[in-house]
Parts: sequence; structure tokens; C-alpha cells
Amino acid sequence: MRDRKYIAEPAITTAIHLARSMGKPLLVEGDAGVGKTELAKVMAAVLDTELIRLQCYEGLDTHTALYEWNYQKQLLRLRMSDDGGRTEGVEEVIFGRDYLLERPLLRAITRVDQAPVLLVDEIDRSDEAFEAFLLELLSDFQVTIPELGTIRATHRPLVVLTSNRTREIGDALRRRCLYLYIEHPSFAKEVEIVRSKVPGVSEALADEITRVVQELRGRRLMKPPGVAETLDWARALVTLHYDRLDPAGVAETLGCLVKDWYDMRELDAGEIDALLSVAGAR
Amino acid sequence: MRTDPGPRSQETAVPTDGADLVVHLARFAGELRQRGVPVSLGDQIDAAVALRFIDIADPEEVRISLRTALKVPRRWWTVFDASFDAMWRSAARTAPERRRRRHGRSLPQRWRGDEPRVPLLMRIRRQADAAERPSGAPREETESGCPGYSPRALLRRKAFDECTKEDLLEMERLLGQLARRIATRRSRRLAPSPKGAFIDLRRCFRRSLAHGGEWVDLARRARAVELPHVVALCDTSGSMDAHSRFLLTFLLSLRAAVRRVEIFAFNTSLTRLTPWITSGNATATLERLARNVEDWSGGTRIGECLLTFADEYLPGTVGPDSTVLILSDGLDRGDTESLEVALLAVRRRARQVVWLNPLMGDPRYRPEARGMRAALPHVDRLVPAHDLESLEALLPLLAGRCGRPDTN
Repeated sequence: MRDRKYIAEPAITTAIHLARSMGKPLLVEGDAGVGKTELAKVMAAVLDTELIRLQCYEGLDTHTALYEWNYQKQLLRLRMSDDGGRTEGVEEVIFGRDYLLERPLLRAITRVDQAPVLLVDEIDRSDEAFEAFLLELLSDFQVTIPELGTIRATHRPLVVLTSNRTREIGDALRRRCLYLYIEHPSFAKEVEIVRSKVPGVSEALADEITRVVQELRGRRLMKPPGVAETLDWARALVTLHYDRLDPAGVAETLGCLVKDWYDMRELDAGEIDALLSVAGAR
Repeated sequence: MRTDPGPRSQETAVPTDGADLVVHLARFAGELRQRGVPVSLGDQIDAAVALRFIDIADPEEVRISLRTALKVPRRWWTVFDASFDAMWRSAARTAPERRRRRHGRSLPQRWRGDEPRVPLLMRIRRQADAAERPSGAPREETESGCPGYSPRALLRRKAFDECTKEDLLEMERLLGQLARRIATRRSRRLAPSPKGAFIDLRRCFRRSLAHGGEWVDLARRARAVELPHVVALCDTSGSMDAHSRFLLTFLLSLRAAVRRVEIFAFNTSLTRLTPWITSGNATATLERLARNVEDWSGGTRIGECLLTFADEYLPGTVGPDSTVLILSDGLDRGDTESLEVALLAVRRRARQVVWLNPLMGDPRYRPEARGMRAALPHVDRLVPAHDLESLEALLPLLAGRCGRPDTN
């Protein structure tokens, strides 16, 4: 995973190892920007397989998540079979696999060559009804389409569910998964992440950036910066050719790091100076 | 892939025998359950399977694997680690530094640290008793004209005698009638409906087959109706005495009608009332509450209590569809900063935050109490709650698709 620029803690690698060995989905929680989605992407890259992603939202239903019939094609087929209102034979045809539009979940279990990585992103955004629907899929890796029957997975996909905890995930779903909570990385880890992900960042800058970010996380912010913010900030500073942090540079690029109006107001010039002295940049 | 622990087996007490391991695991799970960590038999089986895939000679790996396979939620990690260390007798390889940092974020200084989560109520109560406020503390205004502010929890259990029984019965009846009107919030989800605005292609197509592919009538869908979700925080301090019974009856009736209502009470500490509530009439429930909930009619620490709520219950109870009701007069001498922090956190997560203030029944009332003034910018609405009429006016707020007027 290190080759793919994902610096993983032992807890993360152990959880992935267990999920693969036990054939269970992995439920990943953690603050925004700690690399939950990235984890699935890197897993797909490492295993050299397809990543199938399903972004959840409120009102997500089976039509968009699982399958839909191709109505235009079905209608066309009906019109073409000109046999005076008899539909018996045609019905079998138009409710066949050829007329089925695969959505992410169905595609994940019907891959024939190898098991893909299925990322069900931000499951907490979907509603409870959808969560309940996922249960059948995640425990038996099969889905039932009334017109076609039950489709079983040829290869069990490696499932990663992520949640930002905007609501508690139901117990039934939680029980079917293994659970991983990703913390913010330690100082050394984060420096390593910055240096591997942002080419051209100097050693001193990476150190200072990480110190400021870690200091900010310890404060009472509305939106504490995640690793994603750290990387954005580092990239911005590198683009603007900063080698070290200085107050002007920080003020210019603060929008990459702090993404909340209240937090922004808290961090005036004096606060920035204090932060920088913590970071050892002064 | 299980490896033999070898010479270390003596100290780590990780057994090599499969059956023995299961026994140990069962004992460990029992221990966790006893401490309140939700662990089911299924989790136990998962854990047993998981141990087969890892190196059980490494205590740290065992700890991580058990935590993963037993699906221990984040808030139970402290308890889990303590049990693990005690049970598996391995070197205490916890990571207190990391935990403290996370735990302490966005909380006042005194709540940082690794104190166990369970006796939180007790802890706050102790703090409330110990930290007697300096009597000469400056106050921005006098609150002397308001009923019965008591600075300290008195652990009084007071009988509810303000409202007559007839009043309460009448109210329950009226609220029952209104219940149906509440349940009208529309979901984003579509459900079959004969007069819906959306055409249901899938069912249309199915029906057309009966007519040889001719689309004779259209199947339709409409936005599904969604029951409202209400989380109520009711102030039961001395200054609210005259109102809290009235308001709690209101909340109980609401719960009888919609089910999806969570009720908390706060004064110097926060108590979740929902587990005490059973079906049956409100009066009996209220009496049971008065018997079981301590500090009834004590002082108020709105800020600290809301912060406890934000910290302990927010992820589990409040979601994007929740309306958070805060029933309080805002008379509070706790620090207003924590009140603001807590309200911000709650508001971010909830659909709307409505503050019900019984003092607003007085037309001369201005929201000038310190707590109230601090809270005002962070609530979506401030509405009166001094009589039945004002509560009736509240119901459309709970039900309707009222977005936030100022943001979004």
C-alpha cells in the first residue's frame, strides 16, 4: 500500500486482512478527510481490480443502486414483435438479461473475471429503507429480481462501507460488517503522507504544515482539518512557491485548511502568529 | 495461520487450544457486556473466526482484531481497552495520547482525559456540587424578577401539582387529534400512489403487457410521507417548575402519536428519559419519572448539559430529519460559551432547532437573559410555550417542510 502512497496504520491493514480472509464487508468510520474513501480506491489499485462506487444520498432506491429495465429497448421489442396483442413469448425475452441495465450493486456481484472492490460511500446519507435493502446483498451476496429470479455473486466483492456518522448505522447492518475506525494520523505518519503525496514539498515545509494542522486539530474547531485538507494546503503552498510558512502565506492560503466561517473568524492574525510559533516557523 | 505463542503463553495467557480460546472469548465478551458494550453472539463468532487469521502471539494485533471483529463502536474503546488489558493480561499497550486528543476535541478542558464514560451523570453532578460558583461573580443583568432560580442542585423530588388532572386529560385528547396532521412531511423517496406526480415507468410497463404493449393507463408515484423525528430537551430546573410538567405531558402525547420522539431532561445534569417512558397515560409516566430522575427542580446548567448531549447522544439520536426542541427559559448561570458550541454542533446535524420559551407568554418579554441571548443566533426559531395554544402553533413546524429561513 505504501507504493500506492497510502500510509496505513497497523489497525487499518489488520482490518483489511480480516475483511479479505473472512469475506465480510468492512464498515469504515472516522472524521471527514481521514482517507476512508481513499482506502477503497487504494485497495482496488493494490488488488488490481475494478472499483465500483456507489455514492449514497437520501432517497437512493433500487432503481439507481441495483438495476433498472431498459424501457425504450423493451418497448421497441414489443412494437417489433407484431403478433396481434400476444405477449407470452415476448415477455420472456424482454425481461431477460439483455434488457437489464446494471447499476453499481448488480455490477459488483456479476463480474465474471474477478472480485471487484465495491465502495458504498457515505452510507449514513441514505435512509433506513436502503440500509435494510443492503442487508440481503451484504450477507449472502445475492439479489432477487422478481422477473429474473435470484442472482448470486460469481465472485464475492470486497465491500467497503464508509460513514461520517451523521446518523448511527443500524445494528443489523453493523453486525454484518467488520468495523474500522480511522483516527487522524500521528505526526510522523502525516509528515510521511504529505511528503509522498505532494511532490516538491520541502522537508521543513512538510514538518511545519503538519505541526500547524495537528495543533489546529487539538483546538475547538467546527470543522477540524482532515488529511485531505493538509494535502490541499501543502499543494497550494507548493504552487505558490513557499519554502517555509510565514504569516502572509498562511493568511493567503487559509481557505484550503479551514473551511468554516466561524473557524475562519477565530483565526485572525494574532492566532496565526501563535500557530506559527508552535510550528517552529518563527 | 495461527502460530504457537510459545514461551510467551505463560504471561499473555493466550491459549493455544481452540476450545479454550472460545471459552476465553466468551468470558471476555461477557465482561464487555457487563460494562455496557454492545456485543452479540454473532460478534463473538466473528471474533473467534478472526483470531484464526492473525498472529495471536502479538497482543496488539489481537486487540485490533478483536475490536474490529466485535464491532466495538468508537465511544466504547476506552472500556474495551481496559477490559482487554485486564483480561488478556498483556502489557498495557494502549494509546492514551491519541485517545485523549480525540476525546478532548471541542470539549471544555475539564472533560478531557480518560475518565470512564458511564458514570458521566454522576461526575457532572459532583462537579456541580463541588464547583460552587463564586458568589460575587459579575452578572450582566438582574434576573431577580424570574421565578425561583436556584444556584445549586438541591436533589429535591417535587410532586407535580401545578396543572389539574382535567387540564392534562384535555390536552392529551387535543394532541391526539392533531397527531395525524403532523405526519405529513414528504420524503425524497417515491412510493406508488394513484394520483402521484411522477410516472412509474416500471409499473406502467408491467401493466401495458396486459394490453399487448399498449399503455392504457399510467401508474404513478408520489413522494412518500415521512413521520417527523423529534428530539426534545426539557429543562426541569426550579425556574421552569410551573411549566415543565405541562411541557413533558405535551412531549409524551407527541411520542404516543408519532413514536419517533426522544426525550431528555436537563437541569444540572442531562438524563435520557426515553427508557423510562412506557405506553399508558402520561400522568403515571410523569410520576414514575419524578421518582426516578434525580435533581428534579434543581438549578440549571444549560450549556454543560447541551454539551453533554452533543457529545454523548448527538450521533445516535439527531439526524438530518430531526427537529430538536429545547424547552427552557434560558435562565442559566453556566458559561454561555459551551451553550453556543453545543447549539452550533446540534444545529449542524439537525433539520432545525426550535427553542420553546414559556416566558414568552408575557408580551413584555424580551430574550435578554444571558443564556437566551447567547442561544438566539444559533436556533432556527424561538417560539412561546406557555399554554396549549402556543403548543398547537408549534405542530405545523414539526410537520411541514420548513427549511431554514436564513441559511441554505
